[in-house]
Amino acid sequence: MTITKGAQRGSTRLKENEKLRVIDDVQRKRRQRKVMEMLESDNYHDDPHADLVMSKKVPKFEDNLEQRTNRNKKRERTVDYYQFKYRKNFQQLVDEDRLESEMKQRPSYMDIQCEESQLPARHFCAVCGFLGQYNCLSCGTRYCSIRCMETHVDTRCLKWAA
Amino acid sequence: MADWDSKSFRPSRRRRSSGSTRELLVKQAKPSPQLQALILDNGAYTIKVGYSKDEEPRLIPNCIMKAKSERKRLFVGKQIEECRDCSGLYFLLPCERGYITRWEVQKPVWDHVFSKNVCPIEDNPVILTQPLFNFKSIQDCIDEIFFEEYEVTNLFRCVPTDLAYLNYIRERNFNKRHACVIVDSGYSFTHIIPYINGSKFVRAIRRLNVGGKLLTNHLKDIISYRQYNVMEETYVINQVKEDTCYVSEDVKKELLEAAKPLSRNSIVRNYVLPDFNGIRRGFILDPNKTESEDSYQILRLNNERFIVPEILFHPSDIGMKSMGIAEAVVKSIMSCPIEQRESLSKSIILIGGNCKFPGFKERMYAELRSLLPDKWHVNVFQPDDAATYSWKGGNALLKSQDFRNNVVTKKDYDELGSMIIQERFNNFMFDYRELQTQSKPDRDQEKFKYLSKLKSGSIFGKSDVAISIENTKDQIKVDAEGENSNSGQSEKDELSVEDTGQDVGIVKRSVGRPGKTKEVVEVVQKDIKVPEEEEENLCESIDLFPFGTNSYL
Repeated sequence: MTITKGAQRGSTRLKENEKLRVIDDVQRKRRQRKVMEMLESDNYHDDPHADLVMSKKVPKFEDNLEQRTNRNKKRERTVDYYQFKYRKNFQQLVDEDRLESEMKQRPSYMDIQCEESQLPARHFCAVCGFLGQYNCLSCGTRYCSIRCMETHVDTRCLKWAA
Repeated sequence: MADWDSKSFRPSRRRRSSGSTRELLVKQAKPSPQLQALILDNGAYTIKVGYSKDEEPRLIPNCIMKAKSERKRLFVGKQIEECRDCSGLYFLLPCERGYITRWEVQKPVWDHVFSKNVCPIEDNPVILTQPLFNFKSIQDCIDEIFFEEYEVTNLFRCVPTDLAYLNYIRERNFNKRHACVIVDSGYSFTHIIPYINGSKFVRAIRRLNVGGKLLTNHLKDIISYRQYNVMEETYVINQVKEDTCYVSEDVKKELLEAAKPLSRNSIVRNYVLPDFNGIRRGFILDPNKTESEDSYQILRLNNERFIVPEILFHPSDIGMKSMGIAEAVVKSIMSCPIEQRESLSKSIILIGGNCKFPGFKERMYAELRSLLPDKWHVNVFQPDDAATYSWKGGNALLKSQDFRNNVVTKKDYDELGSMIIQERFNNFMFDYRELQTQSKPDRDQEKFKYLSKLKSGSIFGKSDVAISIENTKDQIKVDAEGENSNSGQSEKDELSVEDTGQDVGIVKRSVGRPGKTKEVVEVVQKDIKVPEEEEENLCESIDLFPFGTNSYL
């Protein structure tokens, strides 16, 4: 039996896959970084009081410092004073620390960080949490079964991928 | 009991190991008068505070919270107990990665802590903890706040593990030169700090950027993906984590158990979420009772229960490249002087809130046992309440001679200025001598290589080959005694690099001629490094990774 040229056999799945958008390494890393930032964040949502106009009814924190009342009033400082004087973000602090540690010949904050692991990474299915031995073709996320793959493709596959 | 000789902690004069033992005996004879102090263990999430006479500290959340239900009020520290509805709490935390950066939050919380009905200072000396290598500008601000704002008479700042160490040696009546490793796993990070001769061994200190916050956020993320959207419920999910998570002894086995159908599954738990109406704090539904009230909102937890704390042991599970906690302890021990290593492995102390996961200690023991040489004794100690152990050490510090030698009075602060007093605090229990000898390479150590039959070799189907990944710069070196039997043979390395995205080559080992070893390793390293460097260039860009790629990937 001969196969005519026009009717070549092939799987529709493979054809579909060719259309897939594959996220490259740079983007995968960026995505991983976003996940890490999420894991380090204090809150996911926005300040629920952000739209509030603060009125005078809000208690002032200085009110409950009784012990200081009979002492030198000059010393009293508002929170803003410290915030203004010592306003530095974390990165600035780390940089300063690095300079200082070089001068003093001691290890700095960055130096004591753990080295890379010598053990191979384990892989868990992103959907159900059990061992996942397959990679998503477009984003590289792990999954364990067709069912989890479908869930993954429908939900998070291209999330965070700019 | 714990009387140090005073001069050993001043930067100008350095201790001579021969002299101090004699001095110790003399000083022990002196009885120390009872001193009262306020001890403040300033954790990034929980402040442990109390007077030295108290049995237990008070636990106060180190944050300001905003609730959705009460729009005109901020809840500072303990005031959260007055909040009716704790859903969707918004946190203002003073610390960023464990270091205080938001003074507008920290100051009100301290004001709250020192207020009349919590724990007023009342002219007591203050013992305050701070993270390791606390940044200078943070220290300046702390000094200013405490001396000028709160007008404390005496202040002593130290690292929480110092207090834990003092507590440990006092509890056990060890002498002050006792060597131990303290693993402090807190909210923002995990520190591994070996103590040798009563001071921190700087070169071997390690930090793992995994803490309770990361675990809670991860749990929040996977629950939100699999069941309910709880991304805004950090407060509730933190309780879920505390109530249900545990550390498994064997993940593979546990996963098989978790995969069983619900009727035969011993791991799955139904957790009743709080509704802040009748239920203020969630709880695990009794598995024996099948019927439950309809009003309960149930969260079903299965493999999440042990997969989440697993990040501590294998940060690679969430894509971090850093080594796990057990591996880091081994690394830290192996960076210490060769003669101390064995005694270090005999006392490994686990403190900090993360250690409270059930099974944590057993797992640590199992991992360390398999990673350390089998001739050594491995002893892991975890206090009953790992979170307050450091605080309790404040009492031990108070009784020691060092406290009186190193405490800073208001007068000192005014006269000497913050530079000098910071030196004093930062040099407390800190051994700088070994840093100066660092440059000399240890020739004895170089001869031996660590033939690791790492436990992980058997993880997930790769059990047949003993695999270890090698990096020339950080080879684990092993004590001669442990590896004497192997010293005759040497290894020849064969390389097989996998394409599957692992950046590091996998090196299989087999017995071969000793001379060839180094060459082969070097060749191998070159082969791997070329593609790696091209890729890494991007990762090193500061815009993308302000804290370096290690902390993320």
